[in-house]
Amino acid sequence: MTDPTHAPLHTVARGRARWHHGVIRPVLQRRTNVAPAAQAIAFVIGIAAALIAGALLLWAAGNDPGAVYGRMIDSSLGGANSISRTLLRATPLALAGLAVAVAGSMGLWNIGAEGQMMAGATVAAGVAMTAGDLPGPVLILLMIGAGAAGGVILMLGPALARAYLGVSEIITTLMLVEVSIRIVEWLETGPWKDPESRGFALIEPLPDHASLPGLFGRAHIGVLIAIALLVAFWLAVSRTAWGYELRMAGSSPATARYAGISLQRKVLTALLLSGALAGLAGAVELTGTATRLDPGLSNGYGFAGIIVAALALMRPSGVAVVAFVFGAVQVGGQSIQTLGVTSSIATILQAMILIAALVAAVLLNYRIRWVRPVGSDTELPEAADAAATTGAAGV
Amino acid sequence: MNKATTPRVGSAASSETSLAVDLRGIRKEFPGVVACDGADLSVRVGTIHALLGENGAGKTSLVNVLGGVYLPDGGEIWVHGEQCRFHSPADAIAAGIGMVHQEFRLVPSLTVSENVVLGSAPRYLNMNQIVERVSHLAALYSLDADPTRPVWQLSVGERQRVEILKALWRDADVLVLDEPTAVLTPAEAADLGETLRAMADRGRSVIYISHKLDEVLSVCDEVTVLRGGVTVAQPGSLAGVDRSDLAQMMVGEAAAEVPRPPDHPSGDVVLALEGVAALSDRGFPALHAVDLDVRAGEIVGIAGVSGNGQRELAEAIAGLRATTEGTVRLAGADITGASPRVRSRSGLAYVPEDRLGVGLAPHMSVVDNAVVRSYLSLRRGAMLDLKRCEEFCKGLVERFGVQVGRLHENVSALSGGNLQRLLLGRELTGEPRVLVAAQPTRGLDVAGIAAVQEQIVAQRSAGVGVLLISEDLDELLALSDRLVVMYEGRIAARLDPSQTTRGEVGAAMAGGGGS
Repeated sequence: MTDPTHAPLHTVARGRARWHHGVIRPVLQRRTNVAPAAQAIAFVIGIAAALIAGALLLWAAGNDPGAVYGRMIDSSLGGANSISRTLLRATPLALAGLAVAVAGSMGLWNIGAEGQMMAGATVAAGVAMTAGDLPGPVLILLMIGAGAAGGVILMLGPALARAYLGVSEIITTLMLVEVSIRIVEWLETGPWKDPESRGFALIEPLPDHASLPGLFGRAHIGVLIAIALLVAFWLAVSRTAWGYELRMAGSSPATARYAGISLQRKVLTALLLSGALAGLAGAVELTGTATRLDPGLSNGYGFAGIIVAALALMRPSGVAVVAFVFGAVQVGGQSIQTLGVTSSIATILQAMILIAALVAAVLLNYRIRWVRPVGSDTELPEAADAAATTGAAGV
Repeated sequence: MNKATTPRVGSAASSETSLAVDLRGIRKEFPGVVACDGADLSVRVGTIHALLGENGAGKTSLVNVLGGVYLPDGGEIWVHGEQCRFHSPADAIAAGIGMVHQEFRLVPSLTVSENVVLGSAPRYLNMNQIVERVSHLAALYSLDADPTRPVWQLSVGERQRVEILKALWRDADVLVLDEPTAVLTPAEAADLGETLRAMADRGRSVIYISHKLDEVLSVCDEVTVLRGGVTVAQPGSLAGVDRSDLAQMMVGEAAAEVPRPPDHPSGDVVLALEGVAALSDRGFPALHAVDLDVRAGEIVGIAGVSGNGQRELAEAIAGLRATTEGTVRLAGADITGASPRVRSRSGLAYVPEDRLGVGLAPHMSVVDNAVVRSYLSLRRGAMLDLKRCEEFCKGLVERFGVQVGRLHENVSALSGGNLQRLLLGRELTGEPRVLVAAQPTRGLDVAGIAAVQEQIVAQRSAGVGVLLISEDLDELLALSDRLVVMYEGRIAARLDPSQTTRGEVGAAMAGGGGS
């Protein structure tokens, strides 16, 4: 995964690979500045490379790569209905990705967005059960607010432990995923069991008026919520004093302390906000797509959000793009199963695309330098050094 | 040891084979700083060789070149009479160079033996046999460490012994220790001295980095002194050399002429420390009962060999280090427990010695760094007024002559001198009453030094009280109205810069006490 902070310059100058002596060898050297345009290009190149490799895989498995790719693109991007299906997937990915990116911009890793989504959905479902008589818009707003609160509740322990005791948030947030899923399983079989479900362990369905209004096709207005929050976070980070302090604390903690910024408070707010956004993602998923709360509701979106945020280099604009592409890959991967592509091949294809994009994003931080070791023809190390840099190549 | 894997160049003249290590004209440059500028180091076989110099003199960079951590920009590395070119620490290890860094590189959950053999274990592990061999090695050099205990249970001193065992296991015949006693108790330091002596007696060589003069004299056989990345003294044997000689070599002779500013009446006390005490990062007492006054319109210089409490003093005044005793007053108001922000608002400007990393955030833009002190007043509602931030930055850049490319590029793209102009300018913008400047000219080129010194004198003329912490004695003697020498966290001497001599200051820096 890309490290949101960059290594200091001087650790970089040495080579990464040991090579045979006497041969010009490539050395990976860290770049200091990467242009945003180059990032986008690397992303596209990475995906293209994966598609080519995937074509070989499909061909070897006896499928027609052209037809498969055609179906993937058609089902995810061809027409309003397809795009709506992609957006349906992209919405929770974007919200979870944003949640991870908020913590990531401080150099923190919220690995447990999956659990906070479940916690948010659970509290939101509780609201729907106890206040189901309220009119639709009021109920939905209440549920979404309750979802954010649920995420905050689950994040409270890890955030306090991290800010005041230095306990790694990676471990605590991850462990709470399991806890929150078990809680839903318990609710399902016990207190919240639907009396009409007979032998099945199912939670009562949500009232009809607790569903988010649709947008077009299968997409619901959760898309707009996600976009609004992405824009709001981008504004907050780049245009407010709060965001300035957050960036400072994440990028150079010693400078932040020097400037009088409380690091503990920044860690606490970043993690709690991250939890709130993940919880909200769970509530939106509940009211947007589900008919009832169940332990599979978060569906891996929280974990996928980590990949989305990392690929987006923790930037809101990147989260939007990556979540959309990720959503399209998921929809496309599902649709090609009707062409006789086995589901495991479809999953491998999805994974290859994501890995290629991830590798491209990481490699982009380096440039290749060709280094010639000292040989008999170049006696002086100084001269060899001067001759060593023959040029730099991109990804 | 497997020397065949080490890339080597050339071969030796036979007269040099008694040298374990010979570094010739090593040059290493980092963005904005020249760490080594033609440094030499010759270590004879079977000796403990001190590498002495102030912080920033290039000691660590030089040994990192030897250890394969850095590729030098120039110069030659000779080990046992053969020229080497290390592409990685593994190459250096293969050539018999063992490094013990300031930060230990151990796996806390593994045992001592496991850590010792990690990365160079025999193909088939027989843990009992390994434990036995590690114990044997430890006993040979009186390196007291239980081979079966996990490292996380060990004290800092024991961990250091594990690092040394690691190097010995890899058959290092040149051991490099970077300020080894900085983390040790006096008793542990004495044990370490014995261990190193045992190694030297068995024909190994030790490079011992330090700026503690007494230690160098008691432990080492020979010395090389670095200043400003250049080897300034290689007196060979330490016999007949005393502490003040070493202090003189470290601080050097009068170099560039710094013009003394005209005398100038000073005003009221603007910064007053009474009985201030503070702890070091490791929790040991680093400042003891420091009393210090700075008046408006005067420069008080702080001299001392680095590591004698100067950093802690500056941080205690800036509010970045808690004081355990005493009071700090700024223009009469007690600010002892105040936050850095409150201190800055009440008129304290602080130029920390780590200009990039503390004073400036390396991966943020020039504009972001320019507004560190003023962003809260550059708001419009809840939002930062980006246009005003940019204008503020432009004003700063023009007024203090900072040479920048784009205002939105990372500040780390600036040269050292321009970083310091930006930092100093930012700190001086709020019309401060007190300026604390720690090593403000260290590592700068001539033009940068002149610009910073000029600015400090200008502040004095404007009635600011300046506390100037520096390792450059000429700078201190020329600029200070009063000179205070620190030794082991106390004020060792208070001198009049117009009356004192370099020798007197050097003696006080070495703990000899002032007149």
